[in-house]
Amino acid sequence: MKNAINTIILSAFILICSSCTKTVTPTLNNVSQLVIEGAVSDTTGPYHVNISKTTNFYSDNVYPTVSGAIVVITDVTANITDVLSEISPGNYVTHTIIGTYGHSYEMKVMFEGKSYTAMSTMPNLVKLDSVGVDYEKSDNIRPIAEYQDPADQKNYYKYSMRKNGVHVNHFQAFDDRLSNGRYLRDNLDCDTGTFHRGDLVRVDLVGLDKGAFTFLHEAEDIAYNNSNLASPATPTSNISGGCIGYFSAQTVSSKTTTIKSGR
Amino acid sequence: MKKSATFIAIILLLIPVALMAQSKKRFSLSGTIKDKATGETLPGATVSFTELPGTGVSANSYGYYSIIIPEGTYTALVTYTGYKTDTIRIDLKGDQQNNIKLEASASQLSEVTIKSSTSRSNNILTAPAGAQKLTVEDIKNVPVLLGEKDILKTIQLLPGIVAAGDGKSGFFVRGGDADQNLLLLDEATVYNASHLLGFFSVFNSDAIKDIVIYKSGMPANYGGRLSSVEDIQMNDGNNQKFGVNGGIGLIASRLTVEGPLFNHKGSFIVSARRTYADLFTRLLSDTTVKKTVLYFYDFNLKGNYQINPNNRIFVSGYFGKDYFKIKNADGIDYGNSTATFRWNHIYNNSLFSNTSLIYNSFNYNTHFQSLTNNVTVGSAITDYHIKQDFNYYINASNKLDFGLESIYHLTQPGAASATQASNYNNVVLQKRYSLESAAYVSHEWTASDRLKITYGVRLSELNVLGPGNFYTYDPMGNVNSNTYYGSGKIVKSYFTPEPRVAASYKLNDSSSVKLSYDRTAQNIHLLNNSSAASPTNVYLPSSNVVKPEISDQFSLGYYRTFNKDQFEFSTEVYYKNLQNQFDYKDGANLVGNENIEADLLFGNGRAYGWETYFKKKRGRLTGWISYTLSKTERKINGINNNNYYNASQDQTNHLSIVGLYQASKKWTFSTAFVYSTGTPVTFPNAKYGVDGAPVYAYGERNSQRLQAYNRLDLGATLYVKKTSKIESSWNFSIYNIYGQSNPYTVVFQADPKDMTKTQVRQTTLFKMVPSVTYNFKF
Repeated sequence: MKNAINTIILSAFILICSSCTKTVTPTLNNVSQLVIEGAVSDTTGPYHVNISKTTNFYSDNVYPTVSGAIVVITDVTANITDVLSEISPGNYVTHTIIGTYGHSYEMKVMFEGKSYTAMSTMPNLVKLDSVGVDYEKSDNIRPIAEYQDPADQKNYYKYSMRKNGVHVNHFQAFDDRLSNGRYLRDNLDCDTGTFHRGDLVRVDLVGLDKGAFTFLHEAEDIAYNNSNLASPATPTSNISGGCIGYFSAQTVSSKTTTIKSGR
Repeated sequence: MKKSATFIAIILLLIPVALMAQSKKRFSLSGTIKDKATGETLPGATVSFTELPGTGVSANSYGYYSIIIPEGTYTALVTYTGYKTDTIRIDLKGDQQNNIKLEASASQLSEVTIKSSTSRSNNILTAPAGAQKLTVEDIKNVPVLLGEKDILKTIQLLPGIVAAGDGKSGFFVRGGDADQNLLLLDEATVYNASHLLGFFSVFNSDAIKDIVIYKSGMPANYGGRLSSVEDIQMNDGNNQKFGVNGGIGLIASRLTVEGPLFNHKGSFIVSARRTYADLFTRLLSDTTVKKTVLYFYDFNLKGNYQINPNNRIFVSGYFGKDYFKIKNADGIDYGNSTATFRWNHIYNNSLFSNTSLIYNSFNYNTHFQSLTNNVTVGSAITDYHIKQDFNYYINASNKLDFGLESIYHLTQPGAASATQASNYNNVVLQKRYSLESAAYVSHEWTASDRLKITYGVRLSELNVLGPGNFYTYDPMGNVNSNTYYGSGKIVKSYFTPEPRVAASYKLNDSSSVKLSYDRTAQNIHLLNNSSAASPTNVYLPSSNVVKPEISDQFSLGYYRTFNKDQFEFSTEVYYKNLQNQFDYKDGANLVGNENIEADLLFGNGRAYGWETYFKKKRGRLTGWISYTLSKTERKINGINNNNYYNASQDQTNHLSIVGLYQASKKWTFSTAFVYSTGTPVTFPNAKYGVDGAPVYAYGERNSQRLQAYNRLDLGATLYVKKTSKIESSWNFSIYNIYGQSNPYTVVFQADPKDMTKTQVRQTTLFKMVPSVTYNFKF
């Protein structure tokens, strides 16, 4: 909604005056920080924890991997501990843990004498009903996630997409704060020109807990709406110890469709 | 009760002081000062006497003056900027009523004007520190965006007042935030002064008489905002003859009709404006653009009637609306409306009273429509306001202003309605009710012909009223308690005594020093955590959680005129201490949030600065240079490790140069140059991937700055016809002539051409905007 307002404001300005946009290169500081992304889900394992370092804004989107960390995930509810193995630099995988609804998981990462911990509880499954398509803008065809939000609980979601089997680098978070109990048909934003006629789209409706949602929601604002924020800040992580990122015990429900129109 | 007792006690204490030392027989001289040709009252016109140096009086905001002087024969000098000084012989043998009519400077009628050489009112020496007055005449040749002369834009070229930036509607006074300015239109509060999101202000110059600005030394009759007062008066309307004037521009046109009523005992003025940018967009081929609806209109209306010499009534109003829509899709509409009824009553020659009943309202609606959504979000604030002011002219050196006022604020922080098929539920946030009352008294004491002291106190009280649920929060922002208060129940009261002192000391005939201290309090707070010019703000009254903002300001200035008042120089320093300031938590959510207060962080602030101003008032070339060096900081618990940091409105250097040159009777040229340090921003200091998409990390809040802002504007006015019957002119202007790319937004994003990279894109709104306007008057 916030995005929409700012889009109209800007488009109106562009209409009536000689505005212009150009690429600039302001001087930016560079502070290297640790980034941890970890998830346990209701799909079959293994589950991954990725550890990396941030990079300079003007560098390529390649983030230095962090090897040699000790990563442990515990199913606190079932009291099962799993020490992860690093199968490739910065990529740590589980062995025994099985994602279960309602269970709480603790992730602990030890690296260079510091420890980082997070807790996350897997919510109940919310099933994706179907995937629709919004053909209104021919150059920006967007999938629509269609599902029933349960009225008896607070729900937090993330949408992610695959195009012809390849992950689309665009995420979107949503909660039912203003939509509790609704049948939702939510447009999934993606970069202009992502989808074309004949593309196979898979949409994942990912159910999150509050801590993971808070990080993803703030990260979404930073990634796609940073110019409109009066006080942009690093998203609030649910991992303690002073790093960026999130740990999520989540549910996944997927549906696919084929783009039938457009170029 | 305690409050009003204190108030009465103060008045009683002051009166004997004022009445002391009366030996010779004294009589009052009083009346109204008006324009000879139009009958418009001239607030601020002064009456002085050659025989009594240092004795004088200036007319109040209704043009009324009164002074008590010993009996005798006097030569009275009546002066007003832009008018011929009138010399009147007064033979004072008893109380005398003398209505004075001044003639506009001859130069203004017969040829294009640069302010009168006849008027020598060196206002600068006597006005309170930090006060400045501008008439519409003062601003008419200053170049502005799209050729619409705009009083609110012009004051942003004065020292200590800076614009929030291109495409942003607000302005900052001495480090105050945009919501800390009290904008009054005929006493009614205007909450959002912008049209077209900042292109124009809501104040149509054709309907405006003058503006008085206080950056410090705020008289005690003003209150409710922290950093400044902009008191704007509408024209009363010509009570001598009918007149029509207007202008046709590229983007907007306007028309004003005025004339006498009731056999010249009254008059009216009606003024209207409409923009039509969307008419052009319909001609374009792009279908989305074609469907855009984009315009505003506004009306100013005023009427007055002189019932008898001692009673006059005024009715005035404003109504405006902005529409901003893409047909069958998203859109915004917003607008202000105000209505003021006033009754001037002269009890006796030395007691003037004004009673005002005021209504004002601001509301906006945002509409979202797509395949999957159809939602309207609305918000509003409405005030019902009653005000009683008295001016008591005790004797030549003592004047007492006192009064009472009460405002009932009704805020609707947000309501959303959605159709069945939408993704959102209907949400209605609780309405908030509060009663803001104040009593004030202010004594203007001319201690000697050099020293003038105005001191007073404003006692303000805010009562937060039910009905509604009121919450308290723990430091994490979780609800601690929730209490329901019934209708009319007092949830919380805040009482703030606001002392105000302003002194001016004349060093000699051409220089003076001034000193002031004011305390101000603010109970209506504007929440807007977006940097865009969005009108979708939330007005939040003080509550059990949000305390009144308080400012204490000290100001000191030196003022001097040169070469028989041809040049004017002033320099001022100020220091402000601010309490109960707020900023937003990271990721604060202002939309449809019942617990919005939990997303605020509170703390203190300080602002200090140095302002200089040099003005050439007469000659073919006139204009001014204004420079401000300042610092504004906040210290909020939970931001930047609780250290002081630069407030978002901090601009270290600010320079404006305005020049007007009268080349001939036909041509006048003008120019304005503005430079200011970029405002503080928070830029990324690293990036990382989230689900494969680049996301950014940030360091301390407001630790970087945008690039400096600068631009040069040029304007020219050609007077084609100037007769006593008809007057017409062409106005040409170019905004930002050298096409400086001043940033409106700076976006950090994935590079759409190469998704393995990120880039910074900067949008500039106004790169050289030319305009032409045809103005006429008959």
